[in-house]
Amino acid sequence: MTRTSAPGVRVKDLTVVYKTPAGELPALGGVSLSLAPGTITGIVGESGSGKSTLALSLLNAVQPPGRIKEGVVEIDGLGDVVKLTGEELRRARGRQVGYVFQAAQNSLNPLKTVGKQLLDLGRSHDFDDLPALLKDARALLGRMGLDGGRVLDSYQHELSGGMRQRVGIMFALVLNAHLVVLDEPTTALDMITQAAILKIVRDVHHERGLTTLIITHDMGVAAEVTDSLAVMYGGRVVEHGPTTEVLGSPRHPYTKGLIRAIPRLSGDIDEARALPGRPPTLGTIPKQGCVFRERCPLRIAVCDTVDPEPITRDARTVACHAVGRLATPVVPKEYV
Amino acid sequence: MITASGITKTYKQRGNLLGARAVPALRGVDFAIERGGAVTFIGESGCGKTTLGRIVAGLETYDGGDIVIDGTPMSSLKPRHREPFFRRIQLIHQDPYSALNPTRTIHQTLAAPLALRAKQTGRDKAWMEERARELLALVGIDPGYVLPRYPHQLSGGMRQRVVIARALTVDPEVLVADESVSMIDVSLRLGVLALLKDLRERLNVSVLFITHDIATARYIGGDGELYVIYRGQVVESGPTESVISGPIHPYTQSLLSAIPVLHGVERPGPERVVPTEALNEAHPDTGCLFARRCPFRTDRCEAAAPALVSDGDQRHACYHPQRRDVIPVEAVA
Repeated sequence: MTRTSAPGVRVKDLTVVYKTPAGELPALGGVSLSLAPGTITGIVGESGSGKSTLALSLLNAVQPPGRIKEGVVEIDGLGDVVKLTGEELRRARGRQVGYVFQAAQNSLNPLKTVGKQLLDLGRSHDFDDLPALLKDARALLGRMGLDGGRVLDSYQHELSGGMRQRVGIMFALVLNAHLVVLDEPTTALDMITQAAILKIVRDVHHERGLTTLIITHDMGVAAEVTDSLAVMYGGRVVEHGPTTEVLGSPRHPYTKGLIRAIPRLSGDIDEARALPGRPPTLGTIPKQGCVFRERCPLRIAVCDTVDPEPITRDARTVACHAVGRLATPVVPKEYV
Repeated sequence: MITASGITKTYKQRGNLLGARAVPALRGVDFAIERGGAVTFIGESGCGKTTLGRIVAGLETYDGGDIVIDGTPMSSLKPRHREPFFRRIQLIHQDPYSALNPTRTIHQTLAAPLALRAKQTGRDKAWMEERARELLALVGIDPGYVLPRYPHQLSGGMRQRVVIARALTVDPEVLVADESVSMIDVSLRLGVLALLKDLRERLNVSVLFITHDIATARYIGGDGELYVIYRGQVVESGPTESVISGPIHPYTQSLLSAIPVLHGVERPGPERVVPTEALNEAHPDTGCLFARRCPFRTDRCEAAAPALVSDGDQRHACYHPQRRDVIPVEAVA
C-alpha cells in the first residue's frame, strides 16, 4: 500500500447554523482549530457542544436544516472542503477522509454481507482492482485481531459490537484515506473492548501515518489515545493544547471543572465535584458574552457582554477573559 | 436486610429443530445488602448484572436459590404476598428518556404512586401535593418548574432525578440503580451520583449500584461491598476499596486495567492485565469461565471450576490468586 504523507487540517472561523422555528441558531460559533499532520487530536464535549457538527464539517456533510454559514475548512491535498460540491465532494469522502460514524456498530447494511458492502464501496469509488481491495480489507481486519475472511462473509448480526466497530474502522481506512475521523468510537462498548479498540486506533494511526480526529464525550478516552486535546462548549473551542498539558494543568474553568467531575480509581474520591448548572442547548446558547459564564467560578463583568477570543500562548489556546490576566472575580463562586 | 443465596436464572432461547437452547444468565450468586449499605455489581454487558438487579427488585423470577428479606424467604410466600416486600425495593432505570411516560406531566407521574401511598397510610390529597414537592426538592430540582412539565421539556439529568423522586414515593428501603448515569452528560453525572450518595446518608436507604464503571462505584459505595460478575458468576467480591486497590482475580484485574489513564494526571498501573482474547459467550462452561481469556491459565483451570474462597476480607474464584497493582497512579507533578 502506498504511503502518502498525513494531511494537515485548518478550520477557520467556522460557523454552522441550524434552521429552527426560532430562526437560524448557531451550533458552531466561529470555530478555529488546526490538526497538525500525523497527530491524533481529540475533541471532548458534552451533548450539544457542537463536536459532531464540527466533525461532519470536515466532510462538508452537515445535513439540512443545518448549513455551513461561513468559514473555511482547509485539508491538505483537497483545498477548502466547504467549496467542494457534487461529484468532487463525493470522491473526497472515503478516499481522502475516512469517517467512522457514531454508533458505527449499527450502521452496517443488515441485508448484505460485509464483503458485498465493501465491493459496493470499491465500485462507487471506481476501483478497478476489487480483489486487491478485498485483500487490503482482510489484512486490515487481521491487523485488528479478526479473521478477515470470515468477517467479510458475515452479516452484521453475526458480529459482536466490538467486531462491528472494527469493521467500521476498516471501512474508513480501506480506501487509503489519510485523514480519519472517529465519532464516539467506543460508546456502548464494554471497558475491555474499548481498551482493545483504542489500542488498535493508536497502532493503525502510527503504522499508516494518519492524521486522526477523535470525537468523544469521555475525557478518559481522549486522554488514552490523543496527542492534542480540544475542549468544546456551547459551539466553541474553549481550550486546545497538548493532551497531557491540558489534563495536567487545565486553564479554562470548564476544563478544570470537567476534570474534577471525573471519579477516579486512586486518591481521595471526595475530591470529585460536580459542575454546577447544565450545558446549554442550541436554543439556550447565550447570544452575547461568554457561553460558559452561567456555570463559571471566575466570572467577571466583561464575560456578560464580550465573547472571549481564543488566545494562544506556548502551544496552548484558551478562550477565557479571566485566565492569564489579573482580575478579581466579581461573582466569587465555589463548586458545590 | 436482604440476603440472596445461590440465585440461578436460565433464559430459554427459542430453539430450532434440535430443541431449545438454554442460556444461563446467573449461575448461583450470593450477596447481602444491609440497611443503609451500598452494594455494587460490576461486569461487562451480558454478565447478568441487570438480571440480578431486576430479580432483587421483584421484576424477574429466578430458577434456583432464594432471596430472604428481613428473615422471610420469598420462596415461602405466594407471589401476591411477596409484593409488599418487593415494594420496599425500587428500581431506577438505566434510561431516563424511556422511563417516564411522555404523555404525562411530572405531576401526574408522581401522583399515581403517591395516591396509593396516601390510601395505605390514610392521608389526604393535600399531603400528596406536599409530598410531591418535598420529594422533588429532596432530589434537588425546583418543584414549581418541574411539576407542570412533560418529560421532553426536561434535561437528562433532571429526568433521572424525577425517576429517583418517583422511586422514593413509596418510601423504599433499597434503591436499585442500574447504570443510572451512563446516559447523562458528563458534567451532570456526578451530580446524580452525589444525590444517590446523599439519599443513602439522609434517608438511610441502601443502594444496589449496577455499573460497568468502577470509579463511579467507588464514589457511591466506597464503604460498601463490590461484586465482580463474569458470565453469571461472582468471580471476586469484597470491600470496594480493597478490591479496587488489590484485585485478586485476573478478570477483575483486566477490568481495572482497561480503564483509560488520564495521562498528564496519572500514570498507568505497573502490572496491567490484558485478556488474551475477546469475550465469547460460546466458550465451554467447564472449568473456570474466564480461563480461555486468562493470561495466567493452566491446565487445571480448564479442567474444573474454582470455587469462591475467602482471602482476607476478599473472596475470589481463582486457582492462581495473586494481587496485582493495575490501577492508574497519581502522577507526581
